[in-house]
Amino acid sequence: MWRRLSYWIDSARRSEALREEMELHLAEKAAELQADGMTPECARAEARRRFGNVGLKHEESREIWMTRFWSELVQDVRYGCRTMASNKAFSGLAVLLLALGVGANTATYSLMEAILLRSLPVADPESLAVLNWRSPPPYNASKEWVHVIHGVQGILWPGDKGAMVSGMFPYSAFEALREENPVFSTLFGYFNGQNHNLGVRGQATSAKTEYVTGEYFRGLAVSPAAGRLISSEDDSAGAAQVAVISFATSQNRFGGPRNAVGRSILVDSVPFTVIGVAPPEFFGVDPAMAPDLYLPLHSNVLLDGARAARMYGDENFYWIEMMGRLRPGITMAQAQAALAPRFHRWVAGTAKTDGERAKLPALILNPGAEGLGSLRRQYSKPLYVLLAMVGLILAIACANIANLLLARAAARRPEMAVRLSLGAGRLRVVRQLLTESLILASLGGALGVLFAIWGMRSLTFLLSNGQENFTLHAELNWKVLAVTAALSVVCGLLFGLAPAIQSTRPDVMPALKNGRGGGPRRGAQHVLVIAQIAISFVMLFAAGLFVRTLNNLHSVQLGYARENILLFSLNARQDGHRNPEVATFYTDLRKRFESIPGVRGATLSQSSIISAGHAGGAYRGAMKIGAITVQGASVMAAGPRFLTTMQIPILAGREIDDRDGPGSTPVAVISERLARTYFGNENPVGRRITFVDEKRDLEIVGVSANLRYGGLKGEGSSTTVFAAATQFTPDRVTYALRTTGNPLTYVRSVREIVRQADSRIPVTDVVTQAGEIDRTISRELTFAKLCTGFAVLALLIACVGLYGTMSYNIARQIGEIGTRLALGAQRGAVVWMVLRRVLILAAVGLAISVPAALSASRLVKSFLFETEPNDPGILVVAGVVLVSTAVLAGYAPARRASRIDPLAALRHE
Amino acid sequence: MGRKARKNDSLPGSLDMLILRTLSLRDLHGYGIVQFIQQSSANELLVEEGSLYPALQRLELNGWIEGVWGVTPNNRRARIYKITAAGRKQLAVETRKYTKLTLAIARVMEAE
Repeated sequence: MWRRLSYWIDSARRSEALREEMELHLAEKAAELQADGMTPECARAEARRRFGNVGLKHEESREIWMTRFWSELVQDVRYGCRTMASNKAFSGLAVLLLALGVGANTATYSLMEAILLRSLPVADPESLAVLNWRSPPPYNASKEWVHVIHGVQGILWPGDKGAMVSGMFPYSAFEALREENPVFSTLFGYFNGQNHNLGVRGQATSAKTEYVTGEYFRGLAVSPAAGRLISSEDDSAGAAQVAVISFATSQNRFGGPRNAVGRSILVDSVPFTVIGVAPPEFFGVDPAMAPDLYLPLHSNVLLDGARAARMYGDENFYWIEMMGRLRPGITMAQAQAALAPRFHRWVAGTAKTDGERAKLPALILNPGAEGLGSLRRQYSKPLYVLLAMVGLILAIACANIANLLLARAAARRPEMAVRLSLGAGRLRVVRQLLTESLILASLGGALGVLFAIWGMRSLTFLLSNGQENFTLHAELNWKVLAVTAALSVVCGLLFGLAPAIQSTRPDVMPALKNGRGGGPRRGAQHVLVIAQIAISFVMLFAAGLFVRTLNNLHSVQLGYARENILLFSLNARQDGHRNPEVATFYTDLRKRFESIPGVRGATLSQSSIISAGHAGGAYRGAMKIGAITVQGASVMAAGPRFLTTMQIPILAGREIDDRDGPGSTPVAVISERLARTYFGNENPVGRRITFVDEKRDLEIVGVSANLRYGGLKGEGSSTTVFAAATQFTPDRVTYALRTTGNPLTYVRSVREIVRQADSRIPVTDVVTQAGEIDRTISRELTFAKLCTGFAVLALLIACVGLYGTMSYNIARQIGEIGTRLALGAQRGAVVWMVLRRVLILAAVGLAISVPAALSASRLVKSFLFETEPNDPGILVVAGVVLVSTAVLAGYAPARRASRIDPLAALRHE
Repeated sequence: MGRKARKNDSLPGSLDMLILRTLSLRDLHGYGIVQFIQQSSANELLVEEGSLYPALQRLELNGWIEGVWGVTPNNRRARIYKITAAGRKQLAVETRKYTKLTLAIARVMEAE
């Protein structure tokens, strides 16, 4: 084998030697024949005749050491490169089209790979299992919650048919499963704590915190970048207060992992010692979370107080998440079979009533290799939609290149006919043509990788929508590059095959006779153009839906100011400020913010209005007006002049102001809808609203206009109760400054004021009101932008295809059109003849794609807002845009056709 | 395998054997091999000259013969082929096979 290889490498020299040998042979033969009395010419001819086909024999001999396939491939590639170089415009266009398509696909795929397919960066991720449970719907017939779960800290996500699925468990379940576990070598628990204030040398920042059991790092098989990681001894009551920080935190706060080990830090004013640094690629178990700080599980008692201590003993409170590493040789199914009955026995013991016993949660194991799926849940559907869109773009690009190749194949028919009639095998010619398309495809793919790098950056930027530490890093790894390569090759074969087969049809005679007549039928080209039109329409329609959605969202009546508001949050309670001092602290700060030059007003609330939906209200219990229970009202703790600062109109009475302190009468301002619903036309000012759980009566002092509370979409309710922040002091407050000019220019002064007041407290979530609102609709924003971009791109490519086809057809019909013109056809009639064909193509394309678009749009229904997936208006607009662009693309060739000089055309014929 | 001698329907594959046999007697260049086979068969075997070269390449690739640049009796530069030790073994194998085959054919032809 190696000899064959060395021959092959040496093939040029050997080939030359062979030729020399054969020539010598012919010369000797000729000399011999000449000696027998032949003339020199006759002798040479006879020698050749006896020898046979010199070229063929040479080939055959070469073939012995160099398989024919390779030698022909080298020829084909050389020839293909020459052909491409001689037709730069065509090749450039084809490569560019393909690069766009492949680039868009690669970028999207790399993101998908990063989000949906990549494994946890730990050793042997396949043997990790996540513990979840599933239970029947918790509500009984009268919509009361009857379930063994009495409280949760975390997320329950809905399964099918109202079932509940979650990964949270009580601590005692963890203990019950951990001891003598036959299927897991390690079982470890963790939960995402709230953000804590991390103080390093007097500088405070907010740190995402994960509480982990002692087995966590051992179970994940992670080794530290420096120091050591949390072990079982660290996670017990009374152990030294130790912490592990992320690699990024060690760099940002200590200047590298080595410097961090052994240093003291303050977590919410509680001292901890850094014992180690996690490796750089480690992001915890949830790619979306990426904690800055890892603390032993039991240290939450120190930080979160008595409430946390209670959680450990409560068998009906679900909060800790679990993962296990399977023992070698144990499958996921075996592990589930072993653990499910054990969990069932345990959970049955915690049920208090028959109702609870009837629907106990059942344990299920899921593969843990990809980590927890919160990013996956959030982004998988948008990514699939995106992938479908870029896939369509690639399809259009391929159809277009196939079209270009078809046209070129027609131009090359004489060449092919010559080859075929000289005895080239048809397969051989098809192979040569395919090689040419594959060269195009490889170039396109290579250029596409460049596009992809650029595309990945923009996509990541769009998806992260401004989150500071978005953990998702798409990258070009081998998997992605392999997909790109495969994609390019498949495309090359796809768009190369049809033209290649068509141009080697065996009827060579007409092609030999006349370069122009008898070309391939136009059918294939038309099919391709129609396909492009149909796909463009689907994308136009999708773009229309998303743009309409975005418009609807932008035109939502907020009821409060959007511009010139700066928002930021503080949590003083985490750093030791207690009642009643914390209220004064917040009030003093507010006054100082108000005195910043350029700030027209400063107020505070427990969260910004837009994020109040998921941040939760200041009071969540039952409310009553007189004897009537108030349904579905949200309570917002607001500081003085909240309504004025937010420019919410005051319809009656007054707003909350400096008069309302901790000691004065509790007051409330209610929104107009609430007033209408419960007081009719009466004036509510002076009446009372009762917070039942806190046994407090609030005096209604004013009525505000309605506002969109929470997100922009449906859930925003307009029934709002504003309570005085001094009387309901929340832990964490969000300040709102109404500024002159760009709000972000005031951030520096704000930070300075907070630092002076208490340097331990970090300023977090700094954002403008407009920015925060846009963040809530970032997905719609992204989709509208991307989809419009894609649709324009698709339309452009389709128009190039249409233009090319029409130009080509007209070039072939010069004779016919010339004859018509010579016989007296009007130029207008010629234009119409061409345009009519364009319109027919467009109409057929539309006829195919309208039903397709309508059925496809149902899949994106969940992305739309106040827009029906079959919106007829958008359908019409998309159709009009498509047809008019098509006509525009067809008009240039049509005009050219009408300008044909009949004399020249006929002479040409 | 479809290598045919022109006049004689020689057995498939016999060209290789003939070349090896020729080279086992003396070192020769391509044309010399053709001439030798024709002469020693009293012009009964006409080697299709063109087929000689693929055969030589194949034999060389198998390591049975070895070509080196030399000079012909007419003083022209040519590749002179030598048989190798492996080539001699191969010749013995092929000769045995050939003898067995011709004997078998002869038996059939003489059977009554």
